[in-house]
Amino acid sequence: MPTTRREFLRASAAAAGALALGGPGGAAQAAQDASGAASPLRILILGGTGFIGPHQVRYALARGHTVTLFNRGRTNPQLFPKVEKLRGDRDGDLEALKGREWDAVIDNSATIPRWVRDSAQLLSGSAGQYLYISTLSVYRGFPDPGMHESSPVRELDDPTVEEVNGRTYGGLKVLCEREAEAAFPGKATVIRPGLIVGPGDRTDRWTYWPVRIQRGGEVLAPGDPAFLVRYIDARDVSEWCVRMLERGDTGVYNAVGPRAHLSMAEMLYGIRAVTSVAVSFTWVTADFLAEHEVQAWSDMPAWLPPRDEYAGYGSISRDKAIAKGLTFRPLAVTASETLDWWRTLPESRTAEPRAGIDPEREKAVLAAWRAR
Amino acid sequence: MTTSRRKFLKQTASGALVLGLGQDVLAGEHTVPRAETSLRILILGGTTYLGPYQIKRALERGHEVTIFNRGRTVPTLFPEVFSKVEKLRGDRSGDLESLKGREWDAVIDNSATDPKWVRDAALLLKDSVGLYLFTSSTGVYYPYLAPAIDESTEVVTEHGPATGGADAYGVNKSLSEIEAREAFPDRAIIVRPHYIIGPGDPKDRLTYWVVRIDVGGEVLAPGDRDDPVQLIDVRDLTEWMIRLVENGDAGTYNATGPGSRLSSAEFVAGIRAITASEVSFTWVGTDFLVEHELPYMVPWVAPRGDMLGMSNISPARAIAKGLTYRPLAVTAYDNLKWWKEQPEERRAPLSDLPRQREKDALAAWHAREA
Repeated sequence: MPTTRREFLRASAAAAGALALGGPGGAAQAAQDASGAASPLRILILGGTGFIGPHQVRYALARGHTVTLFNRGRTNPQLFPKVEKLRGDRDGDLEALKGREWDAVIDNSATIPRWVRDSAQLLSGSAGQYLYISTLSVYRGFPDPGMHESSPVRELDDPTVEEVNGRTYGGLKVLCEREAEAAFPGKATVIRPGLIVGPGDRTDRWTYWPVRIQRGGEVLAPGDPAFLVRYIDARDVSEWCVRMLERGDTGVYNAVGPRAHLSMAEMLYGIRAVTSVAVSFTWVTADFLAEHEVQAWSDMPAWLPPRDEYAGYGSISRDKAIAKGLTFRPLAVTASETLDWWRTLPESRTAEPRAGIDPEREKAVLAAWRAR
Repeated sequence: MTTSRRKFLKQTASGALVLGLGQDVLAGEHTVPRAETSLRILILGGTTYLGPYQIKRALERGHEVTIFNRGRTVPTLFPEVFSKVEKLRGDRSGDLESLKGREWDAVIDNSATDPKWVRDAALLLKDSVGLYLFTSSTGVYYPYLAPAIDESTEVVTEHGPATGGADAYGVNKSLSEIEAREAFPDRAIIVRPHYIIGPGDPKDRLTYWVVRIDVGGEVLAPGDRDDPVQLIDVRDLTEWMIRLVENGDAGTYNATGPGSRLSSAEFVAGIRAITASEVSFTWVGTDFLVEHELPYMVPWVAPRGDMLGMSNISPARAIAKGLTYRPLAVTAYDNLKWWKEQPEERRAPLSDLPRQREKDALAAWHAREA
């Protein structure tokens, strides 16, 4: 049942009064929000056709804003035929951006500081606000509980490096944030999302769990059931970004959910609740998983092993974003809509998921766990 | 059982929710395909909870429905369907006149807790009705001394000496089953539901949980996280009952859910998933709950003594005959939605007392921890 945005909005608007799917926030709130913003903005989105971009575009349009997309035209070029599209390249071809004005810019697509510097400096005189999508990976690990936006960030030994890999990614994003702030002093908004999930996710990470649970049977569940997970629905972060622009809110914000602490067990059991298959969970210790080379995050998405550097991961502060209106869809909405979306994909796309342990290995690990 | 992809799609299409997307199940916006053969169905009782759902489903499937009752209960669920059924007046206790000289393909008996009622109705109807579906209860197994129960587990047909009358309900139900089978040998359908929940529930069972968790804050979660719980959505139950009648599937069936074991932790987390409230669960042990007179936080029931196997009753036979299950999130969501549409006086029973009891229990639990 691929549900269109419009159907979703209509249905949840109808339910809104009685339901308060999640009090302030959630689907009902989004529907109300989408009914229109106070004053329309001209929004330029750099990128905009990947994962969170399309959600931003849809929401911005629903709120009455005018959207311009700037990209190479390579990813999902069929999207948004009625939206203005400027062609160019973050890496050296910004011609199309010259001589234009926008109220706000959303920069989704930069990992290299030079890209942010070039576009932000070019636009500093012609755009009112610069919203840069950064990442929680900017932090120097998560050793302490309650880490917040001024906790220490990574510093690259060589700030000129442009190679993006696991070692440089966080440090590069730190430099990108600084470029945005340098070009738009007092007018930059830096959003640091955690694991972004939901319909359209191209990484298949969090998607692994609803798809796996929907398949039924014995599910390998990682580590301590009480491990606190963090994730954010792509719609929640995208829609909130647009609202931040409307209010002209600047500053640095962690963007993670859910609102209250959620354990790995609660997440998996909550996902189970959107299915009616016969399913059971077998919790296997972190040590055993390590011995059997089951990788945290990639094989077991959203999960991290109990190491000191991750001790504070589950309690990263999101208070500042919540105070500025970040809301969260219920888990069941994210899970069921992720499944709805997954079912619309061609088999060539779903046959080889990009994350999550494969079924044969999962079976083998479960057998070994039973035999131990 | 694994629900097939097609079934799932069909189910989420109709049940579906989905959680904000969805259509309102109570409004009956989804279309149900009509049965190949239209049946004449007599429903004894049928005004309170199961009945309205059965009537609605039977009509959607193209059957003709007659209801028999005293005419005293004013239906509040789907009042509109009652204009589309034939109404016979009478009394299970002594006045069955209006049933005489009539024929039906099947009778559904929802309203008997007295074996004599079943005997009288079943004997009267045995030659003029094809099937007799009796709504029994898993209470026939009380006391639930076996750790795991299926239809081969012996039921209790005599009042035990030491139960102080607690077994009366189950004994009467099992004696009623016997009456139905004797009058309709090989033509009796005996359905034994567990806790029936979902929109319209007069007993506020699941409603307590969905409302409580939606309110948020510190929620008392009962027992051991791994304790099993069982419950069945009234729509899954009644839709399946109509299917049994259509298929002529005589036999005795436990109607418990869901289709695979659900733990107390999975239950509360599943309900949490439909809200975005700030919730935390405090797990309070079984001993403590028993001491504080909270051994029933339905569907959780302290699994010990007479209640040992109460939440471990197999639905395998029912599943083999087509019982299906909505996802818990759908049931919970629809239940909460229904509740919020109720007038204030209907919602009053859940407003204070249960919450105060929970608060007191949590305070005592924390005091004990300290």
